[in-house]
Amino acid sequence: MTLGLEAYLMLAALLFSAGMYGAVSKKGAVQVLMSLELMAVGVDLNLVAFSRYVTPVEMTGQFFTVFVMIVSAAEIGLGLALVLAIFRSARSSEVDSLAELKG
Amino acid sequence: MIMNWVALIPALPALSFVVLLPLSRAMRKRLLWLPPSAMAASAALSLAAFVRTWPGGHHEEPVWSIAWALGHVGGRPLELGLALDPVAAATLVVVTIVATCVQIYSLGYMHRDEREGWYFAVLSLFTAAMLALVLSDNLLLTFAMWEMMGLCSYLLIGFWYELEGPRKASQKAFLTTRVGDLGFLVALFAIWANAGTFELAEVLHGAGEWAPGAALVVSLGLLWAAMGKSAQIPLHVWLPDAMAGPTPASALIHAATMVAAGVFVVARTLPIFEHAPGVLTAMMVVGAATALAAGLMAAVQHDIKKVLAYSTVSQLGLMFVALGAGSAVAALFHLTTHAFFKSLLFLGAGVIIHAAHTQDMREMGGLARHMPVTTATFTIGSLALAGVFPLAGFFSKDEIVTVLLHEHHYVTVGFVLLASGLTAFYVTRLWFRVFSGPEQAEELHEAHRSMLGPMTLLAAITLVAGFAGPTYAEFLGHEGKWPEVTVALISTLVAAVGIGAGWWFYGGRSKVVNTRVWKQRLGYFYDALVQKLYFDLTYDTLFIKGYFRASEGASAFDAHVVDGVVNGAGTAWVATANGAHAFDQGVVDGAVNGVADASKGIGGLFRRLQTGRLQNYQRLVVGAVVVLMLIVIVSRGA
Repeated sequence: MTLGLEAYLMLAALLFSAGMYGAVSKKGAVQVLMSLELMAVGVDLNLVAFSRYVTPVEMTGQFFTVFVMIVSAAEIGLGLALVLAIFRSARSSEVDSLAELKG
Repeated sequence: MIMNWVALIPALPALSFVVLLPLSRAMRKRLLWLPPSAMAASAALSLAAFVRTWPGGHHEEPVWSIAWALGHVGGRPLELGLALDPVAAATLVVVTIVATCVQIYSLGYMHRDEREGWYFAVLSLFTAAMLALVLSDNLLLTFAMWEMMGLCSYLLIGFWYELEGPRKASQKAFLTTRVGDLGFLVALFAIWANAGTFELAEVLHGAGEWAPGAALVVSLGLLWAAMGKSAQIPLHVWLPDAMAGPTPASALIHAATMVAAGVFVVARTLPIFEHAPGVLTAMMVVGAATALAAGLMAAVQHDIKKVLAYSTVSQLGLMFVALGAGSAVAALFHLTTHAFFKSLLFLGAGVIIHAAHTQDMREMGGLARHMPVTTATFTIGSLALAGVFPLAGFFSKDEIVTVLLHEHHYVTVGFVLLASGLTAFYVTRLWFRVFSGPEQAEELHEAHRSMLGPMTLLAAITLVAGFAGPTYAEFLGHEGKWPEVTVALISTLVAAVGIGAGWWFYGGRSKVVNTRVWKQRLGYFYDALVQKLYFDLTYDTLFIKGYFRASEGASAFDAHVVDGVVNGAGTAWVATANGAHAFDQGVVDGAVNGVADASKGIGGLFRRLQTGRLQNYQRLVVGAVVVLMLIVIVSRGA
């Protein structure tokens, strides 16, 4: 049995959705970051799958994926630094404890 | 001839008023030497003016005159001026001498009073007004000075305004004389309408050619005014009450100023009266009635000053009789002699009141043994008032009687002689009550030199002034005569009867005459006299009470009708304002607040979105993206 493009897209969508659910619902800041990473991974999988099935000669999708992973890594570094800073000031890393923007 | 210094005679006392007016009490007290000095200087100038006028006689032109143009009224020039003629010169001397004596006397009499300075200021202004009136060649200026004297008499009578008596007396004097002043105003209107000038000489000259009845109106007006000022019945009521003022001020009012002004103005304008003979007769009737009635009232008074006051009213009545008979000379001569001896009597009364601490003669007695100078001078004054030879009053009264006999007014002669007899009676009564009998007060003592000096001077003048009678008449341009022997004998007899009666009632050593019995015998008549012949009562009922009733009516009208309208308008306005307020609160503010409330509500709704929780925002974004995607898909699919 060979897996078609749809299977990859389904997995990507699953990953993205799981990530989005985590990002919207998790309390801990670190969990949120992890969920974001999951969403990014879903997108990466899409890019690679489309690249492999639609334009097999050119490697555009793969390259994009590499870039996205680098950016994600940088983003995680920044995100963790922010979490540390927030924890220092708020003595908590829960996202709900940061409600200064409440109107 | 440059004699403009004559203008200083009234100006100097006026100046001392102006100087004292703006100063404080303490400063005025330090300047007390000023008014008597100014007055004395004025007296010296008057004597000089008198000398320059000598030997007098009748001239068309005044010895000196000065005029200031005021402007034009109705196309006619209006001038105010002073003029010195024999009548003025003689009167100036009398007024300034009496006023100087009064001022020097006042230095001693008033020295314990706090407001002494103000007293002297008003005294000076009073005299200044009289002097200007004497010198005035113009009826308008005369009237102005006349009114000024009214004001000054008000101020002096009410000098002790913290007491009710003087306050009421001052108002009474002012209002009563104002009633008379109305006559002066009417006369002035009639004069301006007929003569077109207030110049005295021109007015007197042209009086014969006026419209018929004009002279009657003018002379009636002037007579009424003079009756007010010179306290003739029925306008005499203020003078006895005016005794509430300081005694030296009374001396001035009774001798030199105020009451003399009425007689003087009538004497000045007598040529107008000659064109209205009926008014002359009326004047004589008023004078005779006043002389007799006031003499009767003086005989029953117990207040020493009131006796003298009624005596003044009575003597002024004699002057009016003389004027009514057409003799200004006799009236002015009696005015002169009366000025000297009446001011002397008042100054003496002041000393007596100081010593006895009462004005009631029943509480006095035996002063002769303690106060020799006062007794001597007062006796001279009393005898002069009684008309005893050779004192001043004898000559001037005889002159009046002579004039009356000459003009064949025999009934009036009877009245005058009766009044003279009464005069002698009440003055004797006064003398015995005060100076003889048992002492009723302790520590009687003679007054200070500053008070006795002026009295002595006035007494000396009283002793000799009578002999100046013929000279006085010639000085005024009339024939001077000594009184006839028969007249002199009759009047001496009358005076002797009066004095004898007075002695019999009050002087007898053993007090055999019980005055109470006589009072009872006189019955109703005595009561009427004590009640001052019901004049005050009548005025009180007719005018004062009526006035108060009218005032109450006006007050009620004001309180109900006028105030009602005003308050109604106010209430209506408040109601309107309340309506406007409700509209403002409800409608205008409602709209403004409604807009604000709506904004606030909407803002509140949106506010809920801003929870501050990151994940809420995320959810919204995700939801929005999902919705947008669904729209795109659905629209594509369609």
